Amino acid sequence: MGEAGFTTFLVDDDPAVLRSITRLLKAAGYKTKSYSSPQKFLSSHDPSIPGCAIIDLVMSEIDGLNLQQALIDAGSERPIIFLTGQADISSSVKAMKAGAVDFLTKPVKRDALFSALTHAAEKDAVSRQKRKESKSIGDLLATLTHREREVLEHVIAGRLNKQIAASLGTVEKTVKVHRGRMMAKLGVRCVADLVRLADKVGIAPVH
Amino acid sequence: MDSRVSALPTRERHNGLRRDDLPRTIRNSVIVALAYYLGAELAFLIGTLSDRIFAPFWPPNVVLFCALLVTSPRRWWIFILAAFPAHIAAEARIGMPTGQLLVAFATNCSVAVLNAFAVQRILVEPPWFGSIRKATAYVFITAFVSPALCSFGGAFVQILGGGSIENYGLYWARWYASNALGSLTLGPIAMILLEGVKTSPFGLRHLEAALVALLLIVACIFAFEDMPTIASGYLPALLYLPLPIIVWATARFGAKGASGTVFVVSLVLIWRTLKGPSLFDIGNAETNVFAMQLFLIALSTPILLLGAAIDETRHAEILTRAREQRISFAAASSRVGLWQYEIASGTFWATEYCRTLFGLPPDVPLDLDRLLSRVHPSDFLTASGALKSAITRPMTMEIEFRVGRNGEEDRWISARAQPVIGDDGKTTAMTGAFADATLRKTAETEADMQRQEIAHLMRVSMLGELSGGLAHELTQPLTAILSNAQAGKILLAKGNKNLAEIGDIFDDIITEDDRAGEVIHRLRGLLKKGEVKYEAVDMNELITSTLRLLHSELIDRRISVDSDPAGDLVQVRGDPVQLQQILLNLFMNAMDAMDGVAPARRTISVKTATTDEGGIVVRIADCGTGLPPSQEQSVFQPFFTTKKRGLGLGLSICASIVKLHGGTLSLQNNVSEGATAIFRLPPPMG
Repeated sequence: MGEAGFTTFLVDDDPAVLRSITRLLKAAGYKTKSYSSPQKFLSSHDPSIPGCAIIDLVMSEIDGLNLQQALIDAGSERPIIFLTGQADISSSVKAMKAGAVDFLTKPVKRDALFSALTHAAEKDAVSRQKRKESKSIGDLLATLTHREREVLEHVIAGRLNKQIAASLGTVEKTVKVHRGRMMAKLGVRCVADLVRLADKVGIAPVH
Repeated sequence: MDSRVSALPTRERHNGLRRDDLPRTIRNSVIVALAYYLGAELAFLIGTLSDRIFAPFWPPNVVLFCALLVTSPRRWWIFILAAFPAHIAAEARIGMPTGQLLVAFATNCSVAVLNAFAVQRILVEPPWFGSIRKATAYVFITAFVSPALCSFGGAFVQILGGGSIENYGLYWARWYASNALGSLTLGPIAMILLEGVKTSPFGLRHLEAALVALLLIVACIFAFEDMPTIASGYLPALLYLPLPIIVWATARFGAKGASGTVFVVSLVLIWRTLKGPSLFDIGNAETNVFAMQLFLIALSTPILLLGAAIDETRHAEILTRAREQRISFAAASSRVGLWQYEIASGTFWATEYCRTLFGLPPDVPLDLDRLLSRVHPSDFLTASGALKSAITRPMTMEIEFRVGRNGEEDRWISARAQPVIGDDGKTTAMTGAFADATLRKTAETEADMQRQEIAHLMRVSMLGELSGGLAHELTQPLTAILSNAQAGKILLAKGNKNLAEIGDIFDDIITEDDRAGEVIHRLRGLLKKGEVKYEAVDMNELITSTLRLLHSELIDRRISVDSDPAGDLVQVRGDPVQLQQILLNLFMNAMDAMDGVAPARRTISVKTATTDEGGIVVRIADCGTGLPPSQEQSVFQPFFTTKKRGLGLGLSICASIVKLHGGTLSLQNNVSEGATAIFRLPPPMG
């Protein structure tokens, strides 16, 4: 069931619960790492490993919500599934707002857990893919000259070469050259592709 | 005698004449004068009816004495003044010379005044013959002291009349006997008549009185006849004939009977002597009369005293009976039955209310065995054992038992007994009371049930507050069980042949199931509503178990517990559920007190130790806000609370539970911060 390389990080301070869920995840083929305290998890956490954290909401040292916050603060986008003894609305809302994948009530059903994990795996894959893409676009953008970058921001705003030239205080011909070079460097054929690319990395059109 | 006066009730008449009621006094003085004269005439008549005897007594003295007795001394002169013309009239008629007449009057007056003064002072008020003390005083004053004194003057009357001074002693004796006899025979009956005779409807008693009088008269007539035996120097045996009748009358009618019979005997004897031949016909007239006087004095003195003694006893009996009735009534009104067991005779006496208490029918005699037969079968052995052993080995005892058989509604009886110690210091009887304790018992049972009910409600409510944490305590093992089972199922589905792993799974499932079971067991203990059961309790174990129940709640509220159990703690006797309730309550109070404290500093410290008395002490300290100043005692009052949503019943219930266990519970603020609950229990008995 588990995907290659996808690891579940289980954090629960109740040893019996920790052992049993670890056993279940392993039986289902998940690569699993278990931690009996939030500290142990935080200190050995490697965000680069694809995977999902399954965290008990109520723990004696640091509770689940604080652990989630600690991960976010550390810049990790690791998806989190919370387990809890009691479904308490205010903490579940907090957890979901902070980006938790799911909020499961103990004793947790196998199917619910696995479907949450599948969902988390997808989310993890997407976010990793997204991060990878934005990294390569960023590399391309870095090759643009200052003027080419300016032209890019005007083009995605849907302006004509003539208007761009007027704004930049140059002539239409020069704008055409910059535009052609910029499109070539970024490897796009049409304005539509350019707009999508800019959107992915969050470049805003000029006002 | 004054019939108007005697018709009035005793006290009113007595006081009435002492008031300044002049017209009545004057009228009475006229009557006294008349009676004085008639009395003197009667004496002369007796004296002159026969030449054999003199009048054996002098009625005018008794008339004057009675008049003075019922009058205030301030008015006595009126009666003396009134008697004076009567005296002159009577004595002048028989031609007594003035000197003799005056001395005689002075003597008569002094006898009456002395008697009246002394009786008023010493006997104070009627009934004059109500006690042996009063009767003795009366006889001593009026029959001995005052006639003896006054006769020193009276004896001169004879000498003035030409008697020889050598016979002064004889004259004195005659005067004395005549006055003393008057006081003993006429005085008492007159005084009793003056006291007022209660008229009751004609009945057997009247018949008896009439019969006694008749018998006495007949007996006297026979007895006082002259017998030849006298001459032989023996008193006739017949002389004793009136005595049993006199004693009968006295025994039956007390002082009234005594004075009446003395009067009758005197009259018959005088009449008999006049008619002659007399029993006392032994010498000259003077000697005969003197002998008769001495006989009557000797007879009447003991009889009067006997009558008084009988009245006194009878009065005391009436008082005792009235008091007994009052006590019985008071006892019955307060639902108490009294009983007494005489050890020597083995007799058992009980008030009628005991019948009601034990539910015995009216026709059954009241005895100890019948009362005991009504005791509830389950209490029978205890009750009969205690009562019977109290009787055989006298000692103070107290016991409570139920009464009622064959499914009747039970009645609770509280029985007490104590020994009655006789004059010789030995126990003569056991006396005791049965009290109806049903109301108190019912109230006690109800209060006990209510207390248990409230304690139970508080436990339920505490567990309600803890429900989140408690649910967590259950979901943890359930999660482990479910996950283990699901893992096992997956492994089996995959054809896993690693039986060791499957075995581990089952082991974990069993362990976790036990864990869940324990939680439920603890909860059931606290939730159940049962009788209080006392057993040996290990306080350290109870604290651990309580902390396990609170485990999740403590984690959730970021509170750490610092536990310091004493190693050698003795097991105390108590109800584990109620004791755990106290711990739970104290822990929850400590937790609530630290809501406003930074999580890192939220610590509860719990310590156990052995006390000097050999009991145990549990200290539960928090680092919270502490108690409001000077409210360390108020917290145990019902409905006192410092919490926003508190009922204020927790600690008051804890305190009542601790009290039932013979322990103490106190709360005090710590020196630095927070408060400590100190909970002590006594050492187990025996």
